[in-house]
Amino acid sequence: MDAVESAASPDGGKLAVMHARLEAIVRKMTNTLFRTARSGVINAGRDFSCCLVTADNELLVTAESLPIHVMRGPDLMAKIMRELQPAIRPGDAYLNNSPYHGNSHAGDHSLLVPVIDREGVYRYTVVVKAHVADCGNSVPSTLYANATDVYQEGALIFPSVQVQRDYRDCADIVRMCQMRIRAPRQWYGDHLALIGAARVGERELLALGEEVGWDRLVEHGKSWFDYSEQRMCASIRKLPNARVSAVNSHDPMIGMREGIPLKAVVEADPAEALLTVDLRENPDCVAAGINLTESTAMTAAMVGVFNSLGAGIPANAGSFRRICVRLRENCVAGVPRHPVSCSTATTGVADRVTNAVQRAMADFGDEFGMAECGLGIPATAAFISGKDSRRNSATYVNMLTLGQTCGAGTPWSDGWLTIAHVGNGGQVMRDSTEIDELMYPIRIWVDRVVADSEGAGRQRGAPSGEVEWGPVDTAMEGMWSSDGNTFPALGARGGGAGAKARQFKRSRDGSLSPLDAFGGVRLEPGESVVAFSCGGGGYGSPLERKAERVAHDVAERLVSPARAASVYGVVVDASGKLDRAATAEMRASRQTHS
Amino acid sequence: MSSLRLAIDTGGTFTDLIVENESGQLSLFKSPTTPSNPVKGVLDVLRVAAEGHGQPFARFLGRCTSLLHGTTRALNAVLSSNTARTAFLTTEGHPDVLLYREGGRSDPFNFLREFPEPYVPRALTWEVPGRIGASGEVVKPIDEARVREIAGELREKHVEAVSVCLLWSPLNPAHELRVGELLAEEMPEVPVTLSHQLTPMLREYRRASAASIDASLKPLMSDYIGRLESCLRGEGFAGRLLIVTSNGGVLDAATVAAAPILAINSGPSMAPVAGLHYARLHAGTSTAIVADTGGTSYDVSLVRDGHIPRTRETWLGDRFYGHMTGFPSVDIKSIGAGGGSIAWVDDGGLLRIGPESAGADPGPACYGRGGQRPTVTDACVVLGYIDPDYFLGGKMPLDPAAARRAVEDCVGRRLGLDVDAAAFAIVELATEKMVHAIEDVTVSHGVDPCSAVLVAGGGAAGLNSVKIASRLGIRRILFPHTGAVLSASGALLADLSATFTAPAVTSSANFAFAAVNNCIASLKDKCREFAAGPGAGAVATRVTYSVEARYERQVWELEIELPVEKFRGAEDVNRLVQRFHEEHQAVFAVADRDAGIEMLSWTARISCRLHEERSQSTTMAGEMSAAGRVRSVRFGSPERLRTAVRSMDDLRMGEVVRGPAIVESGFTTVVIEPDSSAEPLAGGGLMVTLTPMRSGEQFSAGER
Repeated sequence: MDAVESAASPDGGKLAVMHARLEAIVRKMTNTLFRTARSGVINAGRDFSCCLVTADNELLVTAESLPIHVMRGPDLMAKIMRELQPAIRPGDAYLNNSPYHGNSHAGDHSLLVPVIDREGVYRYTVVVKAHVADCGNSVPSTLYANATDVYQEGALIFPSVQVQRDYRDCADIVRMCQMRIRAPRQWYGDHLALIGAARVGERELLALGEEVGWDRLVEHGKSWFDYSEQRMCASIRKLPNARVSAVNSHDPMIGMREGIPLKAVVEADPAEALLTVDLRENPDCVAAGINLTESTAMTAAMVGVFNSLGAGIPANAGSFRRICVRLRENCVAGVPRHPVSCSTATTGVADRVTNAVQRAMADFGDEFGMAECGLGIPATAAFISGKDSRRNSATYVNMLTLGQTCGAGTPWSDGWLTIAHVGNGGQVMRDSTEIDELMYPIRIWVDRVVADSEGAGRQRGAPSGEVEWGPVDTAMEGMWSSDGNTFPALGARGGGAGAKARQFKRSRDGSLSPLDAFGGVRLEPGESVVAFSCGGGGYGSPLERKAERVAHDVAERLVSPARAASVYGVVVDASGKLDRAATAEMRASRQTHS
Repeated sequence: MSSLRLAIDTGGTFTDLIVENESGQLSLFKSPTTPSNPVKGVLDVLRVAAEGHGQPFARFLGRCTSLLHGTTRALNAVLSSNTARTAFLTTEGHPDVLLYREGGRSDPFNFLREFPEPYVPRALTWEVPGRIGASGEVVKPIDEARVREIAGELREKHVEAVSVCLLWSPLNPAHELRVGELLAEEMPEVPVTLSHQLTPMLREYRRASAASIDASLKPLMSDYIGRLESCLRGEGFAGRLLIVTSNGGVLDAATVAAAPILAINSGPSMAPVAGLHYARLHAGTSTAIVADTGGTSYDVSLVRDGHIPRTRETWLGDRFYGHMTGFPSVDIKSIGAGGGSIAWVDDGGLLRIGPESAGADPGPACYGRGGQRPTVTDACVVLGYIDPDYFLGGKMPLDPAAARRAVEDCVGRRLGLDVDAAAFAIVELATEKMVHAIEDVTVSHGVDPCSAVLVAGGGAAGLNSVKIASRLGIRRILFPHTGAVLSASGALLADLSATFTAPAVTSSANFAFAAVNNCIASLKDKCREFAAGPGAGAVATRVTYSVEARYERQVWELEIELPVEKFRGAEDVNRLVQRFHEEHQAVFAVADRDAGIEMLSWTARISCRLHEERSQSTTMAGEMSAAGRVRSVRFGSPERLRTAVRSMDDLRMGEVVRGPAIVESGFTTVVIEPDSSAEPLAGGGLMVTLTPMRSGEQFSAGER
């Protein structure tokens, strides 16, 4: 390295190169976890995230991660790990799934591995977080919305607990998990996959630090943060100096007949390039599993902000400097107090908060914000469990990843069909019907999208998904916590709401009876669950949607000709043939009436 | 008069031809591709070659015993949505297999891109009543009357091709076969693809996607192949017309016309075949990283222990936004970084390369055709790597001032760098992207790149391959004499090969000996049939068997070569399980040695070698360069170095060219970095060796 180059201020070329190298490390971790995990929710559903945190406990790099997992949380957990464990050594690994210690919810097992150079200097923390199929809850589901507190929830909680020393398992912890987590072999396989991914990250970072020099790597981090901060500043400066807010409501649950009203207040200060999201005007913690954790409350707000500002701003501690999220303690969308339950902290209220933030931000102007995404997690993607008669009655428990459509209309595009829920950002992979039916005694009878279920808009929301599933030759238990049965995903800037989620039991005689939104069912052979996910909300007035796009939706049987006329003001026959003159007339009369 | 073998690769801009005579001498020819009429491009390049051989066209063609043809025709048709009006028949209740795909999204906060349209629209999708279950049992019989009705509706909609993918057809094809029969009765003129016949693999999306892509290509590809064959025959060609397949082999033209998805990756799939050959020949190794640098993309594959890598996850277009072929193909990672990739600076002052490319028109700024934005090629001109007067052997003079201007205006000024430093940053970032592509295919598969040789193909490979190797710790870089036409040269080396797959789901804990052995026996029969049919007269035939296996409850399989062709007892199963553990450890760095494995699909791959291997040498038609020149070139440090320029043709065997140096030929320019040296290879080509000084210093510093 010649003196001229290293003395010069870090330029955009070098920054890009070094960042690409760090991203490559995270991708290697991701690949390892995805390919080796045992739970469907990880190896098919891709419900996991990998990231790198600096020695100052700041989030540096994530790649193809679930937004709700990583924006804040890995940093909090790294900080807590270092506070609780004063003598961290190479070869250590710590498990954190505690909602009170920086993690998201108990169903997400986070593994933290320190990266310590040969001089003994603490350099980075590698974080791998995955949604495990079971975490020892009192019911066979990691999303237990009806849990009144952490005791009823029943999860084994690990508040930053050492699980490896000298690169070897702490066997007592493994034994403990195997006694309390359903399908223990599957859990252990996942645990190995988490460790494998984290160790890949550690190894690669050590090699990179040795190669380029630790100081240079640390310097890079600072420059990268500055760069990311500048990108965020540039975006905030485009916003008007204004304060906006939006309210929505989580569905009613046991003890909360009216639902839980939620509010986000967003204030843009373009002069100072600062954006503030205030979540303090929300209710206190509730006696249910839907409370947010500190990490998911912060992150839920930030996902809404990032969705609203458009592409291209790196999500890391640098860009986060310009976002201030105000939380209060003992708030359903704030910082929980032990022992409240946060079992569904990555979905439910979190999605409502993100939705409120991005819908509020749509009021900043026509090129900002987003409509609301459909709510989760519908019974199309239930937790199923039971005994598999084809596999010597082995117990199984897993989450289906089917039917989660839900994408919201944006200023730029229609709702992404498979966004799953807003905190997921569409990262989740769908199950294959054949693979599900091979692995579990299940039959997927129906798996399709539903016409006329989209939130109408200039950019429409995604339609609902319908899934009918049931057991084959055996009994099967299904559980879900499906928000969006009562309060749908709302549209923004004149866009319409998406269809609501709902679920039914089909009896042997074919009749349908409704099932609770937060609950489950035990099915006997011949019975099935018929479930619908939410449609996403629309962005902008449906009367402004290009008539050709409406006609295309009709041709594709996503929208009926009747709805095209009544909601979009577009006259089109069932084959998608557009009547331009009639459309112009109809739209003109609507505009004058409205 | 001696016989000739021909290999023709039709690319986006050029059609490449290699002619091999009986003594193994190769001659290379290039002619522009005519996208509207690719048959013409093939005939044109053949005429050029006939002239080059000083022979009348018919006489020249009459000498050719075989023509091996790689073509991007199928791929381009898909990418430009220029395929047949295709209908999709699916199981009742599952109409959205193609719409939903497998989920996933690459950039969480980027909502600029719309969700992709399905390969076949919902408007052309029909649900077939009937259901097969997971054990192959008939849950609900097929409704034949409804299928006949559907055929009527297909006619009304003027459908030109039909794909059929019903759930569980690989396990029980009865329903798919019956639909095929009924359609053949009702609409015999319309081509149909049944998914289980094309690829009897589980995962309905992949099978449906493969079947739909295949069906949609049938009218077009049978037309193209038919016309090509009749034109060639008409001009006097009496040899065998073979088409390069995605799987790294060749098959008779008629076979490919009947299943055109076989040709979706035709062309690029041959680069690793060629790379392996040259690595063995010149470097004595069968582990090689094979890279092909094109104008818009950089294609990389890893050949490990002589195995050509294969995948079933090939995307046409971008991952998550394009279509997955779901069809076995040579595994090639392609990134949008080539000579034509555009460099730019974003709002935050970060340098970016691509994905936008200047393409062939207007091309890089230095082409002088109106391009204003700097490309990697422009940066190479600025740095002195490319001689503007000797590009492509002097056939195309470049405008160095335009290159400087573009680099300075669009990058240098925005980053506060002088033009040299800006150009260097562009090449360095492009290099880094290519390095990552290589890391993706090596490190993630547990292979240390240091242990491999880098085979660098493509016209622009020489510009930064030595730099790439140096970043990865690769010691040897091989520039084959046919590097500029690597895919065509691979076709000359390719075997006639086919893959047969059949499902037999079982586990190590409860191994179904009879079912598996029957399955393998049926595959063996198919191979025997192939060997006696298309493979008759082969000089050597090889069959390998493998299985897609995974740990219990995993959903992604690894392909494991079978230790035996018949499982006789627990010991045989154990050997397979051990192989799986080893492969899992090698690929993912972990193995769960206490866990059992599950097995899904069994595959036999047959390769028939059609000709004896010959030692090749090249005669280049390129013009001589002005050898012995000296240029001022910018390498790692800001001061330019006086650098010797040598002509490839002038190098003597045994001579060592020490870096810094530039070696030029009519087809390519190779930059020999300061800490490396180059030697010509017997028969043509160049081997560059990195002197271990630079990396050695770093390692010893680390170890002290």
